[in-house]
Amino acid sequence: MEPIIKIEDLVFDYQSDEDGGTVTAVDHVSLDVERGSFTAVIGRNGSGKSTLAKNVNALLLPSGGAVYVNGYSTADEDKLWEIRRTAGMVFQNPDNQLVSSIVEDDVAFGPENLGVEPAEIRLRVDEALRAVNMYQYRKKAPHLLSGGQKQRVAIAGVAAMRPECIILDEPTAMLDPLGRKEVMDIIRKLHAEGITILLITHFMEEAAQADRVVIMDRGRLALSGTPEEVFSHREEIRDMSLDVPFAVELADRLRKKGAALPEGIICEEGLVNCLCRL
Amino acid sequence: MPIVIEVKNLTHIYGAGMPFETVALDDISFSIETGEFVALIGHTGSGKSTLIQHLNGLLPPSSGKIFVEDRDITEKGVRMWDIRRKIGLVFQYPEYQLFEETVAKDVMFGPKNLGLSEEEAEERARAAVELVGLPWDEIRERSPFALSGGQRRRVAIAGVIAMEPAVLILDEPTAGLDPKAHSDILHMVETIRAERGITIILVSHNMEDVARLADKVLVMDSGRLAMCGTPAEVFSRAEELSELGLSLPAPAEFMNRLAAAAAERGMEPPQCGALTADQAEEAVLAWLRETGRL
Repeated sequence: MEPIIKIEDLVFDYQSDEDGGTVTAVDHVSLDVERGSFTAVIGRNGSGKSTLAKNVNALLLPSGGAVYVNGYSTADEDKLWEIRRTAGMVFQNPDNQLVSSIVEDDVAFGPENLGVEPAEIRLRVDEALRAVNMYQYRKKAPHLLSGGQKQRVAIAGVAAMRPECIILDEPTAMLDPLGRKEVMDIIRKLHAEGITILLITHFMEEAAQADRVVIMDRGRLALSGTPEEVFSHREEIRDMSLDVPFAVELADRLRKKGAALPEGIICEEGLVNCLCRL
Repeated sequence: MPIVIEVKNLTHIYGAGMPFETVALDDISFSIETGEFVALIGHTGSGKSTLIQHLNGLLPPSSGKIFVEDRDITEKGVRMWDIRRKIGLVFQYPEYQLFEETVAKDVMFGPKNLGLSEEEAEERARAAVELVGLPWDEIRERSPFALSGGQRRRVAIAGVIAMEPAVLILDEPTAGLDPKAHSDILHMVETIRAERGITIILVSHNMEDVARLADKVLVMDSGRLAMCGTPAEVFSRAEELSELGLSLPAPAEFMNRLAAAAAERGMEPPQCGALTADQAEEAVLAWLRETGRL
């Protein structure tokens, strides 16, 4: 099957504010995202991961190369709606994404703009709010919600547009641990329902939950593979200002002290099981 | 050690007498010693921000007392200016508060408002910028807006340091940073404390940082001070923390899981209570040796 997102030799340059020179934020990156997959993109601040994400739903257009969403080039202005309908985006700050004074109105905003019939909008809004466990808050004002709740409403607003793919740009960065967990639970649930997920994150434990981890460094694609493969490159990952999940770190330390642990342990549950079986 | 901040029966009610009346702080008492590293934890809405805004006089209490170096700052006639130069507050995402044309002007803004001369203000700014790990000569004339996000955050913190406060309160100073920038900022906080002997109050959601850095942990919940103790004391109360929506540091969480899994399999469980990766490593190795598997 054709990948839902096809990034071909993408280059993105922008003008530096300071000296007017050109800065290359994304430097010849090629990446295919398969339908129904869950891909996490990690990388230090300024590595180009957000720029990459914004190129995928045509908020930014390539300086070189091309990005295809469902086969449509993001450079094709006539297909802009198709692209944004296919790939919805959720941003870091929940306060910047909610536009209405009532939760359910906010969720209806997207489908209304798509020209969906009112009865159908009602169905979609209810379904999306149930999917993110916010149905009981549908009549509330967004400013009375917690950060995690607001972010779930923002996700519902995207889900109500029935996108095949959701791109989330550090959706948990401003949330507390409980809010982070709520949002990650929803992301996994949407993935289980068949939606393709592209998650940009600074939290290695979140990246470890994906099928595939992609590391960006200085605008380039540095590593890509299953979490097991990628997190086995511990030294390289640290050199790129990143970290590995705690279970990977501990397993590594124990191996060095002679514990006969297999490679490819990335989560705590896996490490607990291996340790009990030693 | 002398007490630098003492809070007695502090209560704050938002919108008293209104339909939305909310008790944001409910009879809170604690004290902080000079030079202590205090972590303030609690989920969103637990009252952490309201509390720190009282400590430097941004919010007046509904009742209760706050003493800063034995001075009651809730009394009438206290000049808030004196309090704010003693208690420096770094808000979340402080880089959004930069406003001057150059780094030097921005960091000198506070000292000049203290009435210092141009030379004195510049000397303080230079020392503060170097303390946060930035090269003064290289960046002094640059626009703060041309720096990277992490650098901008350091400049903003330098602006508070240049006031030479006795206490530095940092509200989630690592939010949104990558793992390296995160550990760099915390390293910077430790340097500030070591070199200036400043008391630190760190608001954090990162339990590993809290376990590693804090002498004392204050746990807030629904406006109450739910716990106060050393990291070891606080993190030994896993169930209560979980009820408050808080987690343990990853090493502690892991050891508890390992102990539970071992018990389920009828094995001798390992020693719990590790707070850092080093301690967890030791505990697991000891357990493997004792059970003859290493």
